[in-house]
Amino acid sequence: MRINWEDLQSKSFYQATARERAYGIVDKDTFKEFLGPRDKMTSPHLMVLGEAVEFDDGITVGVGMIKKHPVFVVSQEGKFVGGALGEVNGAKMAYTMKLALKTYEKMKEKYGTVPDDRKPICIVSFDSGGVRLHEANAGLLMHSESMETIWELQNKVPYIALTGSTIGAYGAQGFVCLSADVVIANDFGRIGLTGPEVIQQEVGKDEFDASDRALIWRTMGARSKYILGDVDYLIKDTIGAFRDTIVNIVDQPMSKISKTRKVGSPQLVEENLEVVKLAAEKKINDSKDLWKIYGNTNVDEIPEMPQEKFLSVVKRRPRRI
Amino acid sequence: MALRELNFEFKPENPKTLKDEWSHIGVVASGDLEVLIEKENALKGKVRIHILTTVVGFDDVWETVVKKFIDRSGLSGVKVDINDNAATPAVVIRRLQQAVDNGGGLQ
Repeated sequence: MRINWEDLQSKSFYQATARERAYGIVDKDTFKEFLGPRDKMTSPHLMVLGEAVEFDDGITVGVGMIKKHPVFVVSQEGKFVGGALGEVNGAKMAYTMKLALKTYEKMKEKYGTVPDDRKPICIVSFDSGGVRLHEANAGLLMHSESMETIWELQNKVPYIALTGSTIGAYGAQGFVCLSADVVIANDFGRIGLTGPEVIQQEVGKDEFDASDRALIWRTMGARSKYILGDVDYLIKDTIGAFRDTIVNIVDQPMSKISKTRKVGSPQLVEENLEVVKLAAEKKINDSKDLWKIYGNTNVDEIPEMPQEKFLSVVKRRPRRI
Repeated sequence: MALRELNFEFKPENPKTLKDEWSHIGVVASGDLEVLIEKENALKGKVRIHILTTVVGFDDVWETVVKKFIDRSGLSGVKVDINDNAATPAVVIRRLQQAVDNGGGLQ
């Protein structure tokens, strides 16, 4: 199989397949895939239900290098069953993350310390609607395993989440995405717990109209999340831009990288709850009202303006921690 | 209903084989398919095709489409695995060609 790394660098992250994203974000010709298509590990559940199967079960996992860092990459494929997590692809995801932890522990055991310029990195490129309903329990189990691993990775291995593909990070994967040390997104990035259709079904069309694309994007889209501080880097839509951002982060000491963490301590929970409290107090009906509170004046133009202009004028939620 | 499984074996008139050891292309999205081609020495001059598809009742169409591609390209000495989610014949032919190209072409 041939993949041209140079071509990938200028390719749209939004349009790229999971495999292309995985190969493109690590250094040239360093990606080694675990359980690739030739291993033919398909989902046993989909087969009996008459649903289409895929040889890699909709996920590309493996290890590559960025400078001197071993980089464990998980890349979800949103076009296959909505990127949803099942038994096989869930296990591939959770255990690749566990490998990052194991590598860290092995290095620590052998050399005493893990230098900043050699520490293992864990990267997950999200493109998932949550847990695959055909195999819900197995998928949830793997979801909780990856959450547990994220907890163990804390302050040891930088965990970087990327979003900017067709589906975004929804449902259970919304949690996993926001548990990251660093969240990187392009303008197509979306993070949410419940998808727009389901919200409309639950609370009614007057409250949340799922056919109103502009409403969806300014509620769950990357720009709103960037203002609120859930997304740390908002960048151009190429695999190369994602790679460059990661390359700039990885050499920093762990204490600096985990500064942008959103969860993991009581103080952080308290800080996040303040946003909820604020939204209730000020009776926020639309994301625009929140943007205004954080000091943005031109809120009607924010969703439409070019990214460079947005980044130059935007005012973000101040963080205390 | 379980997935429909199809197996074919063809012997093209002008057999050629893949340059690389293996090749893979495509994502099993709705209306799309993935193709995996792997070299197998035991299949000299022949090609074995295994298809898993969600669509029932189009076995003859599958056979015609795949046979046409094999006859025209001469692809042999390989086994071809296809996972399909209701792709049209045009998409099938395109992906097969892409898979051959991704494996360095034929020799």
